Amino acid sequence: MATTALTPAAAGYRSGLYEWVTTTDHKKIGILYITNSFIFFFLAGLLALGVRAELAQPGLQFVHDENTYNQLFTMHGTAMIFLFIIPMLAGFGNYVVPLQIGAPDMAFPRINALSFWLLPLGGILMFSGFLTGGAAAAGWTSYSPLAQDRPLGMQGAGEDLWIVGLLLIGTASILGAINFLVTIFKMRAPGMTMFRMPILVWTILVTSVLVLMATPVFTSALIMLFIDRNYGGHFFDPATGGNAILWQNVFWFYSHPAVYVMVLPAMGIVSEVLPVFSRKPLFGYKAFVFATAAIGALGFSVWAHHMFTTGSVFLPFFSLMTFLIAVPTGVKFFNWIATMWRGQLTFSTPLLFALGFLTMFLIGGINGAFSASVPVDFALHDTYWVVAHLHYVLFGGSVFGVFAGFYYWFPKMTGRMLSEGLGKAQFVLMMIGFNLTFFPMHILGLSGMPRRIADYASTAGWNDLNLAASIGGFLIAASMLPFLANVFVSLRGGRIAGDDPWEANTLEWATSSPPPPYNFDHLPEIRSERPLFDLRHRRTLPAAVLPDPGPAPMPTVSATPAPRSRTRRTKP
Amino acid sequence: MTSDSRALAATREHSPVAGMAHDTRGGISNPILGMILFITSEVMFFAGLFAAYFNVRANAAHWPPTQPEGLAEHFNLHAEPFFALGLTIILIISSATCQLGVSAIRRNDRTGFVRAISITLILGIVFLIGQVYDYMTLGFGLGDGVFGTTFYTLTGFHGAHVFGGVIMLSVILYRGMAGQFSARHHDAVEATSIYWHFVDVVWIGLFSTLYIL
Amino acid sequence: MSSYRRTRPSTGAIVVGAVLLVLLALIAFAAVRGTNLGKAANDIMGSMFPPAAVTEQGRQIRGLYDVVFLIAAVIFLLVEGLIIWSVVRYRRKPGDNVLPAQTHGNNVAEITWTLIPTIIVAFLFYISWQTLNSVDAVSTKPDIHVRAVAGQFQWSFVYLGDDGQTEQYTQFVPIGNDGGLVLPVGRNVQLSLESPDVIHAFYVPQFLFKRDVVPGQVNKFDFTIDQNDAGQTFRGQCAELCGIGHRAMVFEVHAMSQQDYDAWLKQKIESAKPTARPSGSGVPPAASLNLVAQGIQFKSQTLEAPANKPFEIKFDNQDAGITHDVAIQDPKGTLVVNGDDVKGPGQATYSIQPLQPGDYKFICTFHSNMTGVLTVK
Repeated sequence: MATTALTPAAAGYRSGLYEWVTTTDHKKIGILYITNSFIFFFLAGLLALGVRAELAQPGLQFVHDENTYNQLFTMHGTAMIFLFIIPMLAGFGNYVVPLQIGAPDMAFPRINALSFWLLPLGGILMFSGFLTGGAAAAGWTSYSPLAQDRPLGMQGAGEDLWIVGLLLIGTASILGAINFLVTIFKMRAPGMTMFRMPILVWTILVTSVLVLMATPVFTSALIMLFIDRNYGGHFFDPATGGNAILWQNVFWFYSHPAVYVMVLPAMGIVSEVLPVFSRKPLFGYKAFVFATAAIGALGFSVWAHHMFTTGSVFLPFFSLMTFLIAVPTGVKFFNWIATMWRGQLTFSTPLLFALGFLTMFLIGGINGAFSASVPVDFALHDTYWVVAHLHYVLFGGSVFGVFAGFYYWFPKMTGRMLSEGLGKAQFVLMMIGFNLTFFPMHILGLSGMPRRIADYASTAGWNDLNLAASIGGFLIAASMLPFLANVFVSLRGGRIAGDDPWEANTLEWATSSPPPPYNFDHLPEIRSERPLFDLRHRRTLPAAVLPDPGPAPMPTVSATPAPRSRTRRTKP
Repeated sequence: MTSDSRALAATREHSPVAGMAHDTRGGISNPILGMILFITSEVMFFAGLFAAYFNVRANAAHWPPTQPEGLAEHFNLHAEPFFALGLTIILIISSATCQLGVSAIRRNDRTGFVRAISITLILGIVFLIGQVYDYMTLGFGLGDGVFGTTFYTLTGFHGAHVFGGVIMLSVILYRGMAGQFSARHHDAVEATSIYWHFVDVVWIGLFSTLYIL
Repeated sequence: MSSYRRTRPSTGAIVVGAVLLVLLALIAFAAVRGTNLGKAANDIMGSMFPPAAVTEQGRQIRGLYDVVFLIAAVIFLLVEGLIIWSVVRYRRKPGDNVLPAQTHGNNVAEITWTLIPTIIVAFLFYISWQTLNSVDAVSTKPDIHVRAVAGQFQWSFVYLGDDGQTEQYTQFVPIGNDGGLVLPVGRNVQLSLESPDVIHAFYVPQFLFKRDVVPGQVNKFDFTIDQNDAGQTFRGQCAELCGIGHRAMVFEVHAMSQQDYDAWLKQKIESAKPTARPSGSGVPPAASLNLVAQGIQFKSQTLEAPANKPFEIKFDNQDAGITHDVAIQDPKGTLVVNGDDVKGPGQATYSIQPLQPGDYKFICTFHSNMTGVLTVK
């Protein structure tokens, strides 16, 4: 016990700014990812508050003109997707994956640092559009020909900055994916076979394949749009011989798999949290892995379900594929429920957020069946119903998953516990605010309110629901206050976490909190997907080589790193 | 912790954590795997551009297009594919010499390696010069209809990749002359050669699509 | 590690209780205010469905929606119920020190919950496909053929003849009693959607239908408005972000009986005739006016023309890739001239029949904010 009482073993975490800027340690880069993502989360959240403030009542009263309004929702969507959810989950992957597979670092630490630093650069470029007379305003989908450099289109630098920013972020994603894949394929500890990897690692693996195959297509799309706008190209503008639908095809070929890039790792996080707080293994590990792979594979054949109303899509095929995705997703749901079934649930904050994921993502998932049904999609497409659906998937799913992961791994990252009280306050506020914001949008959409309108007729009957949604939006913002307070208070004076505060299953809890550079001094034997559980319950090492663990069994591997592992190697 | 030291020592011996940043347990090495994955993403990048090309071509009434006025004859690349064919042959030969260089360093033949990679590098530069010459004499530009846009985007991005390959070849040539490679240690050479073959294959695809199909 | 103190197992129950309490309080508040709870429940249920469909195709989509909704609701209640049951039933209680059974899986259960969803989605796909084939069918001989043109940021509707080519009458004003898309009930209407600029979408909530208006291609769809909806007006709106004027791209559909529609169209064609025809009378124009469109603006906002004499407008559209035209509204707001579309850059000369003295308004029918005053004296 005494070993774990030692406060943070890694002195490196205390060193200055220079260390953070030049680090190639996957853990620090992971923390940089997470911090950077939260900064853009708050920025994009402010933009969303602008949107909700404008829509709270009919009339143009908050932003005064549609151009500003269009910039608000365009940058909100873009930043939330590309600068918050995707890099946030990549950040968790960065921090956790090498630890969970018992590796000392990522395969390419310097490329890892590069793929992080491209993100703030891309983000700043994109947001600098606001300083150049208007950021991009064609929606995060940036449909051409609206996105072309033409009168009543996107004249000015904002759209070009958006393109260049996304090119950088896309490059970061691709490099990150290569890094994850090589790390997972090549750097697993002895005994860590593919089917003993934690589910989070599996989801990151599948996600990385999606990123690797889909993002370059988006890159090519962005480059073509850039050529159209700046060098007189003719790809996407029918007025000059191009094809407007072509943009949608290349865009969604990436952006639909991107939905799984945003949801699969969140599912992975939930699959880490649920077993730990149920005191049971994940039900149907292999089924879960196959379901993840199936979602990834099917994810490449459903992009055109965003284009059902364009009149140039082979509808039955994409409809069928979209429906089929419900099957592996359903399998996962039942596996999660079976994991909790007859377990012993401890309602710590990570579990609460994981349950938030289950209950809310379920709504977003079931909604997907409506959109998959082409005729029903004819009615719902491009209305607020779709806004509700995508937020139930990306907020109810990904964001709840992100917070589950944050509360779960914060003790590992910092060595200190977050406050349970503040965490629960945040959860309750967020849950109420989220549903108050996005549930009414289903009804608005069904009654015919289109997306992306700055104003609506006061006679349309949409006033009350819009007001409710706006109040909910500000409640979500309010839920960030206990969260921030929690983080800052805990960083300064939170309870010391110890190596394994949750009695968890996976390898990251076998080292100190925070882990030393290069992560492990010793690894426990890996005989299943739960090496720590095996160790705790004395299933792995024969008793002869273990000292008597005493009444409270704990990992025999010490959290105190051996001196040599502290020495920083200059050339990894 | 004395009784378990034997077990832990055994673990440490095979463990990647004992100061080993790169795990080289059998199979493909990390940089080579990384390069192959990178090339996968590059394949998808060119797939996006090719998809755009075929989409535009499928939607066109005539191919090569008859618009804009006066450029139709320049668009008819099928009539005179010989210059491009020459460039294709140059690239194919360079792929072969590149592979000769790889075999040489696998045999620890540094002189042969330097010779083969030098020829590859020169052929790559000749290709680039040839492409610039081709651009100057084609008679149409990037803005001249969908044909000009797709042609220059596809060949231009390929050219940029050749340029990247030339830089990589220069680096391994420099390092080879400095004696940094051996039969056991030449991941950079293997990675560069895979990349160079990929660039070659893309060009063969481009040549078939733009000049023959 | 045993030093870690677990939160009290009742916390989950407290949260659930709090949520229930809030719900109860809301219901009680509504009851105290005298809200009819039964009606409110009905309204809430009703808000989960699209509006009542007014077309044959819309009713089929609504039927499909109801089936999908029913299945979705059952699945939702089942799964959400299982989650809540697990949370309530299997919370860790004091004294739960023995590990629960470490179940790693169950092949029978897992195959079951793979197969059953597969069957459900296969069924959903099948009925969707059936409905799709029906609502997406496009007739080669529609009763009524209208071309809807969506430009930034205005709708116009061109009534086509039986051949589907000849333009009989163009409705430029998308809303109001004298404007809008006027259609007969009970007839098979085909809309051809065309855009001169960016992507728009034709959307009428009561049709339960929308279709994108994509530049460079013509999208067609058929629908039949129900017989008993004659005299109704349905509000429609552009549903695809098309720029700063997106929210203002509204239109109305007026459903009429067959007789009313025939009379309306006949009258419209008659009134448009004298001005729609180009001047071929041989009388030389008394004046020639120059009008330039640039940057979605007319360069001159005022024009002057002689009264009661034919004149011509030389129109120069300098906006590359953008279509403009010139139309003239008389002081009462009736469209008296509608010039041909000119895709920029391009020129056209419009021959205008003699006009009565007065202040006319000239507009670009694609861009409702492009206007000017034509003084005829």
